[in-house]
Amino acid sequence: MAPLRIPADLFQFSTVDRSELYVAILHAFAEANDRLDTALGLDDLTAWLRSIGWGQPLSDELLVAALKQLGDWKLVDPIQDHTENYRTAADYERNNVRYSLSRRGEAAFAGVTHAMSVLASTGALQTAVLDAIGDRLRDLVAELDGGTDRRIFTTLMELEGHLEALRTNTKQFNGELQRLLRVEGVDLATFHDVKLATVAYLEEFLTNLEQRVHVIRQRIEDVLDRGVARLQRRALTGAELPSLSGTDPGPAWLDRRQARWEGLLAWFVGSELAPPRVEQLHTVGRKAIVTLLQVLDRITETRRRASSAVADFRELARWFSVVPAQDDLHRLWATAFGLTSARHAHLAAADPELIPASASWHEAAPVEVSPLLRSSGRVERFSRTARVRDVAQVRAARAERIAAERAELDAALALLDTGGPIRLSHFDRLDYFLFNHLRDLLGAALATTPNRSGHRAATTSDGRIEILLWEPADRTITTLRTPRGDFRGLDYIVNIRPVESAPGRRTGDSG
Amino acid sequence: MSQLANQLAIAEREEVSRGIRGLLGAPLVTQRGVPEIFDLVRRRQEPIRRWFDYYCGWAVRVEPRLGYARLVKVRPSTDASRPARRLRTGRAPFDRRRYVLLCVVSAELLTVPVITIGQVAERTRQATATDDVIPTLDTASRSERRALVDALRLLENLGGLEIVDGSTENYVETEDAKVLYRVNTTLLIRLLALPIGPSTLALPIGEVAERFEELLVLITREHRYGPANAPDTDEVEISPTQHNLWLRHSVFRRLIDDPVLYFSDLSPDELAYLTSPTGRQLLRRAAEQGGFVLEERAEGVLLVDPDSLSTDVRFPDDARTANVAALLLLDRLTEPMTIEQVRLATGRLLSREPNWAKAFQDDGSARLAGEAVAVLRDFGLVREAGGVITPLPASSRYGVQPPEVTRQEDAP
Repeated sequence: MAPLRIPADLFQFSTVDRSELYVAILHAFAEANDRLDTALGLDDLTAWLRSIGWGQPLSDELLVAALKQLGDWKLVDPIQDHTENYRTAADYERNNVRYSLSRRGEAAFAGVTHAMSVLASTGALQTAVLDAIGDRLRDLVAELDGGTDRRIFTTLMELEGHLEALRTNTKQFNGELQRLLRVEGVDLATFHDVKLATVAYLEEFLTNLEQRVHVIRQRIEDVLDRGVARLQRRALTGAELPSLSGTDPGPAWLDRRQARWEGLLAWFVGSELAPPRVEQLHTVGRKAIVTLLQVLDRITETRRRASSAVADFRELARWFSVVPAQDDLHRLWATAFGLTSARHAHLAAADPELIPASASWHEAAPVEVSPLLRSSGRVERFSRTARVRDVAQVRAARAERIAAERAELDAALALLDTGGPIRLSHFDRLDYFLFNHLRDLLGAALATTPNRSGHRAATTSDGRIEILLWEPADRTITTLRTPRGDFRGLDYIVNIRPVESAPGRRTGDSG
Repeated sequence: MSQLANQLAIAEREEVSRGIRGLLGAPLVTQRGVPEIFDLVRRRQEPIRRWFDYYCGWAVRVEPRLGYARLVKVRPSTDASRPARRLRTGRAPFDRRRYVLLCVVSAELLTVPVITIGQVAERTRQATATDDVIPTLDTASRSERRALVDALRLLENLGGLEIVDGSTENYVETEDAKVLYRVNTTLLIRLLALPIGPSTLALPIGEVAERFEELLVLITREHRYGPANAPDTDEVEISPTQHNLWLRHSVFRRLIDDPVLYFSDLSPDELAYLTSPTGRQLLRRAAEQGGFVLEERAEGVLLVDPDSLSTDVRFPDDARTANVAALLLLDRLTEPMTIEQVRLATGRLLSREPNWAKAFQDDGSARLAGEAVAVLRDFGLVREAGGVITPLPASSRYGVQPPEVTRQEDAP
């Protein structure tokens, strides 16, 4: 993309003093142009100005000065007109010069009106536009196969129009969406509603996006099969371009068509370098939904207490400024924030069970304090308190044993993970340890009542493994062989899997 | 029950008790700070929540998505020895200025999602300037900037602020330090554990100082107990349910939060409740589920946490000179002593062991004595009143062993 270069002075009229008058004059010319009235004298211009609602009185000098200025900016061309019948000298004086909009003037005013309309319009994600693009592509294929050049031309123009609408709308909508995400709403209630509505809107748009894009891609393929160059040439013929300026407008026109066509491809097909833009739209939409929901969460959360919390913090700050004693400061902190740690002894009596509750502390044997602590002075550098009893070691050993058994258990449960529903008969041979776990799980599941869809669900008591169990429709009996004997029972269908460690989700009840 | 089920039950009990004690040690557990405790609390949140709700009436809020768990401790504090601390070497307690700034900054942060340290300082300056009670923040002064940084770093540490870029500490050196924060509004709001917002009392600021004690009780009054925890109201009748609930919670809150619970400090109602068979049973159950060792004696009860998960400081140990001095002093504190006597005893200790406690050797005995007495007081072993230090019954726990010769075990 080449950077845009705006001709100098093109929009000068909108930024200087008296810009209102300049805009009004251009507006008047544009209105007159609509009536195919292109060259205006001073009187005509005044009349047109009145008709578009210019209320202020306007002297001829002022008007002429303004027109001269516009002429300097090359927005208005003065034309000497000798064809009229002038009745008086004054009449000639007033009307021998007529004015009309130059090309640049037309462009400048079009820019202004377009800017105003963008300001006023709202973007949208219109599914209808996507449908229309799909339909026009279909029509194009049909016309290529047996239609006239003119029809091809009009259809192609419509297609480009829709694509343009999609682009501008999406741009605008995305702009608004990003602004919405940035706003920290003052009026939380409406803000809340707007965001909820937006989320619903986005979700609706995204649901059908995939399918529509697929259709459009299919049809683009169809057109490509028939040759884009041919399509464009036939459209050119159908366009019946006039050549007013002496140069052949054909090549430039074809170039524009090609650019538009590439735009269509970029939107829906993409290339190796860039994914189709529709996918970006998808991503943007999804991201926006997530962000909006987060913002909503935050709003509801803060609406609940933020304002009062702000006031509470301010009040507390004032209290902290006036409470008398240092100690009171810490007590206020501990009370208000509740973040202080508890405090407890860590040394217990050797055999807590042996001392009756009625004994006084004085009578009971003291807890064992490491003698090292009392020999402070004699030890140049003492380390941590020595372990007083072997209880710690016993406990550590026990913990270790438990951990080992847990690891074994984990491994076993991992082996039991069926990775999907299977029949019991598929557990061909099981070692006894595994079989025991399986039996526990089956027992837990069978102890629950089947839910509506006819399966039973249970989880182990630590909630890490889940079993789903269905009764077999054919009620066959199966035999499981274990090293210590056979187990006969219904050939249940089971699905055993580790429960996702995602918090909060629990199915079934613990066995 | 198979061996497996037993295993699981044991593992669960262990995890629940660690989770309970972890929350007692740090009522706000963040995933970033202590992932293992957070994980325990998250996985075992149901039994943990039940335990706190039943025994103390405290709520536990677990927010897995936001990565924190919060035990909402509601209790008028009587103990000034658990201050907010600066996150620097020395961990000095917060002073008035820092507490004030902490509150002002929190209030300002609640209104924005993202902010730089310059904006924080500016908003704080404006807020303090418009308030007639609070001295205006002067960001040109280094000590003021330090105070602000300490407040901010505490909020960072609690998870209310997240640093996106930069380091708060740089602000001490220069006002132009560039630090960008993301504000965790929900967590900031949750920092306050008060059932009654201080702002709702609409108290004239002049009365705060003189009614301070009353205020602490006022802002921690919970609706659920009705008039049960407001002894000064004799208007309506208290329903037995509320009364019992309040008795249980008020007793257990102290037992679970404080090092020793002496029967002499309880009201007759509370004492009757705790020493009834039901009360005793609850005591044992609570201790067992929390993983504490319960020590019941004639004068009171205390909970021992052998793993020190639920305590901010330990005694006896040698983490600080004052702790060692406290233990040695305790051996001599068989009867009430005046503070002068304690100082003398400390002086003797110091001169007897010239290689020990170097920081206090030169005329530091009064300081050391003060610190040692504070340690004992904070553990409920002595009472200090009118310059007299009186040993309390639980101090006998740390008496010198009867002359059974202990082997000098070398520390590992």
